[in-house]
Amino acid sequence: MTGGASTLRGHEGDTADPLDRVLARLLTGGTWLAVGLLTLGVVALLAAGRSPLEGGPPLDLGSPPWAALPRPEGFLWPGLAVVIATPAVRVAVSLVGYLRRDERVMALVASSTLGIIALSIALAVATEG
Amino acid sequence: MTVGLLMLAGGAAAGVFGSLLGLGGGILIVPMLTLGFGRDLREAVGVSLVCVIVTSSAAAGVYLERRVANLRLGMALELFTAIGALVGGLVAFVLSEEVLAGLFAALLVYVAVSMLRPRVARAADGPTDTGGATAAPFGLDLSGPGYRVRNLGRGAVGSLGAGVVSALLGIGGGLVKVPVMHLGMGVPLRVATATSNLMIGITASASAVIYLLRGEIDPYVAGPTAIGVFLGASAGSRVAHRVDLRLLRVLFVVVLLYTAVQMIRRAMGLSV
Repeated sequence: MTGGASTLRGHEGDTADPLDRVLARLLTGGTWLAVGLLTLGVVALLAAGRSPLEGGPPLDLGSPPWAALPRPEGFLWPGLAVVIATPAVRVAVSLVGYLRRDERVMALVASSTLGIIALSIALAVATEG
Repeated sequence: MTVGLLMLAGGAAAGVFGSLLGLGGGILIVPMLTLGFGRDLREAVGVSLVCVIVTSSAAAGVYLERRVANLRLGMALELFTAIGALVGGLVAFVLSEEVLAGLFAALLVYVAVSMLRPRVARAADGPTDTGGATAAPFGLDLSGPGYRVRNLGRGAVGSLGAGVVSALLGIGGGLVKVPVMHLGMGVPLRVATATSNLMIGITASASAVIYLLRGEIDPYVAGPTAIGVFLGASAGSRVAHRVDLRLLRVLFVVVLLYTAVQMIRRAMGLSV
């Protein structure tokens, strides 16, 4: 065994890096926001006596999310969007953090990852249905 | 209403099991939705990816706050998992349901066998390298306190593969990433696990967005399942230290193998 307990605990116990702390709060906040929206949607779904097996309405990018309120999908689609967007927002905030520190290689890595996400969206739209 | 509650409970069970055994819920959600609720396999994979993001984001927040996850290493490797996930997400729509079911059955058998031979867990403290000079590519130092990251190329290839598997089968990909980081790159197991959790969000969202925009994620199915998994994973992490994991592991292997048989039947076009 090498390294001892401090190795296995990583940086635990040290003062958190400000960027790590911001990202931690972002991930936690994003998760709770998403879980809150999804919970409201599930409650609305159950209260309406509807079965998930009926199938929900398709995503309509042309109308604002609140247009479907108070139907279940008015909470569920925004909740799902927050779930999927939270990791990408975490990378975007990291990019800003690295640019401020002038860490160019890490900034390039972060912007490349965001580029891949953007490419995913573009290809999904282009090959849709 | 009953089906909604059953889906919630099924998600919770997947979350508890996944959390207790360190697997994430994805490996159970896909069989639950396809074999239990008769959903399309691709739709189940899309929903599973959403669940995986929810649990990994929650855990990654805690790991970052406690400084267990290596942010720089995670960001460097997640570029490759994102590329893999993009490729896997597109390939998933080309493959037939039978092929996907066959791949999933192979994954289940692999996990079951791995659980009977937990080599990674036993090697927890083994390969940590605290010394020796390793040239950091592009001046990128990804090492942490007490360990030096090596073989970034191996990590990149492993991450690429993890991304493809994640997008095809709806899992987080930790099954690939943790051994690659720990055994292949000299990262302590605890840090590798935490960093993998951080990466899972981007890995899964790169392909989840493809499933979402192509209409493969049903909000009425994803909502109850994701909430169930979140609650189950939270509960599992709180009781993990009180549970006899040896018995649970054996039970889980039996469940995995039974599910693998059902998936093979599906792959062969036999009704399940």
